[in-house]
Amino acid sequence: MKKGNIGINVAALLIFAVAMYPFFVMLAGSFKYQMQLFRNPWFFSAPFHFDNYAVAFGQISKPIANSVIVTGIGVLVTLLASSTAAYSFARHAYPFKNFFYGVIVMLLMIPGFVILVPQFINIKNMGMYNTIIGQALPPAASYTAMGVMLMRTFFEGISKSLYEAAEMEGAKDFRIFAGIVLPLSKPILATVAIMSGLQIWNNFVWSLVVTTGDKVKPVIIAITTIMGSINGGDGVKLAGYIIAAVPLLILFFAATKPFVSGLTQGAVKG
Amino acid sequence: MSGNAYSTTSRGTGLPRRIWKHRTAYLFLLPALLLLGSIKYYPFFTAFAESLFDWNGVNVNHFIGLGNYKEMLTDEKIRVAFANVFKIAAATLAINLTLPMLVAWLVFRVKNRRLQNFLKLGFIVPLVVPMMVLILLWRWMYSGDFGLINQLLAHTGLAALKHSWLGDPATALWAIVFVGFPWVAGLPFLLYLAGLQSISEDLYEVADLEGAGPIRRFFSLELPLIANQVRLVLMYSLISAFQVFEAPFVLTNGGPGISTITPSLHIYDQAFNYSRFGYASAIGVVMFAVLIVLTVVVQKLVKNAETLD
Repeated sequence: MKKGNIGINVAALLIFAVAMYPFFVMLAGSFKYQMQLFRNPWFFSAPFHFDNYAVAFGQISKPIANSVIVTGIGVLVTLLASSTAAYSFARHAYPFKNFFYGVIVMLLMIPGFVILVPQFINIKNMGMYNTIIGQALPPAASYTAMGVMLMRTFFEGISKSLYEAAEMEGAKDFRIFAGIVLPLSKPILATVAIMSGLQIWNNFVWSLVVTTGDKVKPVIIAITTIMGSINGGDGVKLAGYIIAAVPLLILFFAATKPFVSGLTQGAVKG
Repeated sequence: MSGNAYSTTSRGTGLPRRIWKHRTAYLFLLPALLLLGSIKYYPFFTAFAESLFDWNGVNVNHFIGLGNYKEMLTDEKIRVAFANVFKIAAATLAINLTLPMLVAWLVFRVKNRRLQNFLKLGFIVPLVVPMMVLILLWRWMYSGDFGLINQLLAHTGLAALKHSWLGDPATALWAIVFVGFPWVAGLPFLLYLAGLQSISEDLYEVADLEGAGPIRRFFSLELPLIANQVRLVLMYSLISAFQVFEAPFVLTNGGPGISTITPSLHIYDQAFNYSRFGYASAIGVVMFAVLIVLTVVVQKLVKNAETLD
């Protein structure tokens, strides 16, 4: 049996406190004006300046909207491409199946920076420079490899008798896919959606090279250039950092389970 | 689906016939293949071709054979960049193989269910915070006299150590590695914990019967059983360390001088500041080759260690 004792609890809590302290300082500092930050950066101090959040939000509200759209489109593309391919692999045996599967999964071996430059030229040539779609497609394609892998395993686990029953009734692939497989696969769809969404939302490098100016600037770029107000100073920046993290935190606490299983499965398969 | 219904329309025999029979299956593959082919694989193959050209992305486009690769041999930035990522990779490996494992082990052994669940969730939450937010937070903590880190030193009587951590070539690289201290709340923690949790209770009972203490139990029972997770963390740390971009880009932009440059920064700089797309592609190809070699070597080493057991 496992044994626990006070020493272990205290050690774990201490390390937890050290690990969390920078985030705590960020939260406390986000309510402070610059003078308060100078005097006491360590802990909450009155008065609380909620206006820091208003100022920061004013600067990054449009980028947040951009990021929401980019992430939404990216997630949809990932789900569509992954689920259809995974269905094909899970349900059928046909010539070159393993070759195609290899081609898709091999993508996981290619480091993003190796194709950064040609991918940029390619997207630019397709007329997608500084557009929403140009930001969304490459990271969506990147996550599709993982998505196919995770979904194929899941689809293969669906009971064979369900497929057979549907075939007996004369259902074709499209109906089996949309009517039986997808509704039964909500957990894996949620996992893939969350993981790809996280990656697209946080994708810094690609957005940096493929966007310019404010037109489609995502929040991950916008937070690097938040300007402090005269009074608020760095407090405004800290408030902005928190605003940028909040959507993901909400998502995490709303869907902890698919999140955690996505993180572990993603790493294990990769 | 039944193939008979279509037999009248399929011509020939053998392979073409089998392909035609499964045309719906291929149709289902189409979205993924089109997406990956056009967005990923086409650029991947052109990367090799472009690396042989002197190309500014617009009008200048000369074939120069291995000229770009030759230039890399004498490029001081390349030498420093690869030296830097080897240092960063070594540090990241040393960190990720120890501290998160210690914490996962501690959390695993916390007996109180509610405390354990709280800690599990608590150490996972930072994974959800964008990396960029963490980097910017640390940039703020490093900054100037009033930065948190220098203030901490002043308050603890170590004012003499106050330092422009990111502005000094001697400390800048290590200041970048230090971001995220104590580096416990991340993917490695999650993987180790998942590994520990999947160990069967029976094995613990056997270990208890044999009178193994916690230390011996760790090295002879737990560590061997989470070897898969350790291998994963190893590969993951190595590959991400070699591509590190965000932290040096935001914190130092490769400076002061070129002291914190990395291959990724160099690629970005050459392509998007100097419009030297051919040269940048060549750096990418070399980076790819280095990563492949490292992956193979590490896989071999880990396998050998296993058979020695």
